[in-house]
Amino acid sequence: MRYLLSSLCLLFVACGSYSKKQNLQIEKASTRSIQNLYFSDTSKDYVYKANIAIYDNDFSGIFIVKKIGEANHRIVFTTEMGNKIFDFSFINDTFKVNFILEDMDKAILINILKHDFKALIQEEIPVVTSYSLQDTLVYETTILNKKHFYFKTQQLDKIIRVGNGKEKVTFLFSEINDTIANQIRILHSNIKLNINLKSICMSVNNHNP
Amino acid sequence: MRKIVYILFFMVAAVNAQTKMSIAESATLKAKVKAHAASVNTLLSDFTQYKHLDFLANDIETSGKLAFKSPNTVKWEYTRPFIYSVLFKNEKLFINDEGKKSNVDIGSNKMFKQLNSLIINSIKGDMFDDNEFDIVYFKKETNSEVHFSPKEDKFSKYIKTFHIIFNNEGHVVELKMIEPSDDYTRIVFSNRTINIALSDAIFTE
Repeated sequence: MRYLLSSLCLLFVACGSYSKKQNLQIEKASTRSIQNLYFSDTSKDYVYKANIAIYDNDFSGIFIVKKIGEANHRIVFTTEMGNKIFDFSFINDTFKVNFILEDMDKAILINILKHDFKALIQEEIPVVTSYSLQDTLVYETTILNKKHFYFKTQQLDKIIRVGNGKEKVTFLFSEINDTIANQIRILHSNIKLNINLKSICMSVNNHNP
Repeated sequence: MRKIVYILFFMVAAVNAQTKMSIAESATLKAKVKAHAASVNTLLSDFTQYKHLDFLANDIETSGKLAFKSPNTVKWEYTRPFIYSVLFKNEKLFINDEGKKSNVDIGSNKMFKQLNSLIINSIKGDMFDDNEFDIVYFKKETNSEVHFSPKEDKFSKYIKTFHIIFNNEGHVVELKMIEPSDDYTRIVFSNRTINIALSDAIFTE
């Protein structure tokens, strides 16, 4: 009987909401929306050296994000030698695969990448509830029907996607300079998929031929 | 009106700066390149790579060194803006990604084997295989430009056409790989030295 009680207790804790588990305090002055400005400048080419580890496969290459217009982003991943691995478009709420290497053309994988990159580039996100945790402001939001928590100190440092009260994916933004996150990590806790992005400083006198 | 005609005329003239070669001219070029390619035992060159994606403001520029040793050892080493190298050696592909090493056995992988021979052939310029490519020859000022379009669908899905620019001596000075979407990778070679002794250290994995 005691076992049953403690297991019920554990079950209760396990199913508790993410905000309760993290001791997040509800903020009275609520914010209507939060901004992620890391890919918000149409005049910038966002270029990163990338490592993507999927199960036991490591892909390294160049990860490019371009804001083409309002709510219009292009995301391309190529090898160092320039061969495209994937090429996606996010326009408003539509998602399009422009190209993907045959070996990676799997609906499950594409769906995961779609959710990850949508959260990465989404600029204006309506806030459901605002919380605080010591010096950090935490905003609960919904992206593609999934619950996301945005953590903000001086700037946006972290996004966590939550499912069943548990952390599923963590987005970490660091080495932030102005509105550029020079280091970005996307870490999945339930599948073996990690993405590491390191900003490449392109020379200014780079011309198109 | 006359002005427009002049402008149009000049535009046509400008486009025609690249003219098709005669059969005799293309045969001469082919013979020259093949003779040169056969004489290359080692090759060392700097390169600058421009990745052009139509939607970007600037091409992504990377650069490094290329080393080749006959018959089929090649090392592409990027030094800017990151350190990364791939070495094709003994049917294996060795990758060094900023110190993190890995390798792929290409002995059994047809695509990697093709890629390896393609890289070697394109460095030397000897891709004149009519079974594999539709080939078109152009004159471009003092240089020659040859377009190689893969015939195999499996291949042309990734690269629509290779453009190789040869200088007067039949050496490759530029290689451009154009994707079906018209995005491309352009590699410009410079400081090329041929048949000097290359230390084995360059090709250690």
